[in-house]
Amino acid sequence: MVSVTRRLLLLALLLPALSAIAQSAGREAEVKIKAAFLYKFGDFVEWPPSALERSGGRFTIGVLGADDIAAELERVVAERTIKGRPVSVRRIRRGDSLANLHMLFVGRSESLRLGEIMSATDGQPVLTVTETENALASGSMINFIAVDDKVRFDVALAPAGRGQLKISARLLAVARKVVAA
Amino acid sequence: MQARHSIRHKILAMKFATTLAALLVAIAAMISYDLWLYHRGWIADMTTQADFLGRTTAPALTFDDARVARENLELLRARPKIRAAAIYDARGRQFVGFALPDEAPFPQLPEADGARVERDSVVVFKRVVSNGEILGTVYIRAEYELYDRLLAYLGIAALVTAVAMVVALLFSRWVHRVVVAPLLAISTVAAEITEKHNFALRADERSKDEIGMLARSVNAMLAEIERATRELEASNLQFSAEVGERRRAEEEIRELNARLEQRVKERTSQLEYTNGELETFCYSVSHDLRAPLRAIDGFSQALLEDFSGELPKEGQRYLERIRSSTQRMGQLIEDLLNLSRVSRTELQLADVNLGEIAQQVVGELQLREPGRAVAVSIWEDMQGRADSRLVRAALENLIGNAWKFTSRKDEPRIEVGCLREGKRSTFFVRDNGAGFDMAYADKLFGAFQRLHSPQEYQGTGIGLATVQRIVHRHGGRIWAEAKPDKGAVFFFTLAPAAETGAPEPIAAEAAA
Repeated sequence: MVSVTRRLLLLALLLPALSAIAQSAGREAEVKIKAAFLYKFGDFVEWPPSALERSGGRFTIGVLGADDIAAELERVVAERTIKGRPVSVRRIRRGDSLANLHMLFVGRSESLRLGEIMSATDGQPVLTVTETENALASGSMINFIAVDDKVRFDVALAPAGRGQLKISARLLAVARKVVAA
Repeated sequence: MQARHSIRHKILAMKFATTLAALLVAIAAMISYDLWLYHRGWIADMTTQADFLGRTTAPALTFDDARVARENLELLRARPKIRAAAIYDARGRQFVGFALPDEAPFPQLPEADGARVERDSVVVFKRVVSNGEILGTVYIRAEYELYDRLLAYLGIAALVTAVAMVVALLFSRWVHRVVVAPLLAISTVAAEITEKHNFALRADERSKDEIGMLARSVNAMLAEIERATRELEASNLQFSAEVGERRRAEEEIRELNARLEQRVKERTSQLEYTNGELETFCYSVSHDLRAPLRAIDGFSQALLEDFSGELPKEGQRYLERIRSSTQRMGQLIEDLLNLSRVSRTELQLADVNLGEIAQQVVGELQLREPGRAVAVSIWEDMQGRADSRLVRAALENLIGNAWKFTSRKDEPRIEVGCLREGKRSTFFVRDNGAGFDMAYADKLFGAFQRLHSPQEYQGTGIGLATVQRIVHRHGGRIWAEAKPDKGAVFFFTLAPAAETGAPEPIAAEAAA
């Protein structure tokens, strides 16, 4: 018992410092991975053709409340296409229109307004991706979570179905959890 | 037998070699084709497998999900031929992997796309590409059983070859038993027959096929030969018996002939001796008779001349008759002497012209009786090989007869001629005088045989006998043809019949 207590004590003392180091180094990798994942999701999701025709033939990804990811994403998609189209990354501020988006990433900083944002896009052909715990309950379609220092994601099929989006079974195969309802 | 067997073995060996070669080539072709198919198919299969795995694992690679990737990889365990598999990420680090125990370590780095054979395994690397981006590489190492298969096939081939050889051997045995053996049996029978001349041997003809037919034909032939041989032997026996008999008969005949000849010789010599005696007797009698006859005639003539005045007329007439009788007797004796001389003198053969002699004879006859006018025609060139004195005597007789027997004809004609056919000459003397009845033709040439009375025609009856003897001495023949009052033809030859041939047809022609 003694040794366990001492270990816990030590852990408690060291935790804030370790966490800070870990977070600064971890966030950087996390941003890269998440940006890459966002780009890759395009391969595994089918949009209705009418939706793809909008916004001048460009595939538009909106990023809300996560500028680091937006920046990384811009870098990732710079020379790439999704569904054969060039990709635009739009940084969205509070109150900006959410129209003409194909994908929307909502950062952790906007987690409190998540329900509001999700309801705004609900029924629209916009793939919504979040990084907040229990975000699926708010109506998000894909939600990043960290598992053993790795970025994983859960998928909710119901809101995607409402947005006429088809998520590939191959994507579902690598999802941590798939919520049908 | 040795040669035949060796040929049989050669054919057998050849058959086996052919079968073996065909079999080996076929098996080699099949094996090569199969192995090629296997190689290609297996590499294609593994490449496809790698590709499939890559596609399946693409999301896991994309989203860095080793768990899912491992799950995907674990599916390969359903294929036990896959010994090891791994997935490398885009940077070449091993993402997940699995290997069966005792398997070689995974390669440190993925290689370029492709498949290669490494001893007993095939190694496949396959890039996982999505949207033009390389996500990673699939590595598969699977068993490559080409050599095992090859070994298995070789085993099967050996087994098949062995079985085929055994079957071929059995088949060949069967063929030999069914086809070759009966033929050999027939040939053996034929050879035995040739060696031993035993035609009682027979070939086995139980088979119902062509060989049976052959055997039956051979047997039929043999039966025929046997029968013919037996007949031949029988007839040979008979023949030799006949030959023996004939030889005996010939022997007997020869003996008889010899005996006969001996007897003939004896008789002939006896006859010749008797004849000679007779002729000598006849000659000496005739010779001795002439002297007293001449005395009778001489003294009769002296009586008539010296005492004609003292003898009465009656007496003178008697004396005249005595003289005429003695003269006739003298003539007779002369003729007999001539006849005897013909037999006794040696033949002096020379080439004589019978025509010339006939001409002289006719001339003498005309001198003796100049008052007669006889149409005589003598053919020219009547050469013959003869004794001229004897031929002259014969012609004197024959022409003299013709002269005599034509004396009462108004137009007497005499023809002397010769018929030739090859070397054969047949002479004839023809007249149109009194002729004679052919019924007496056989008496014509006997001595003292006369067909006419002395009152009708003078003659001693010895002339034709003399002619016949002359002709016979030359080895010829003489015969005559005549009709009463129509004339006669006398034919004769001066050489043996063997040299001259048969003269009869020509004679008949000449007589016509």
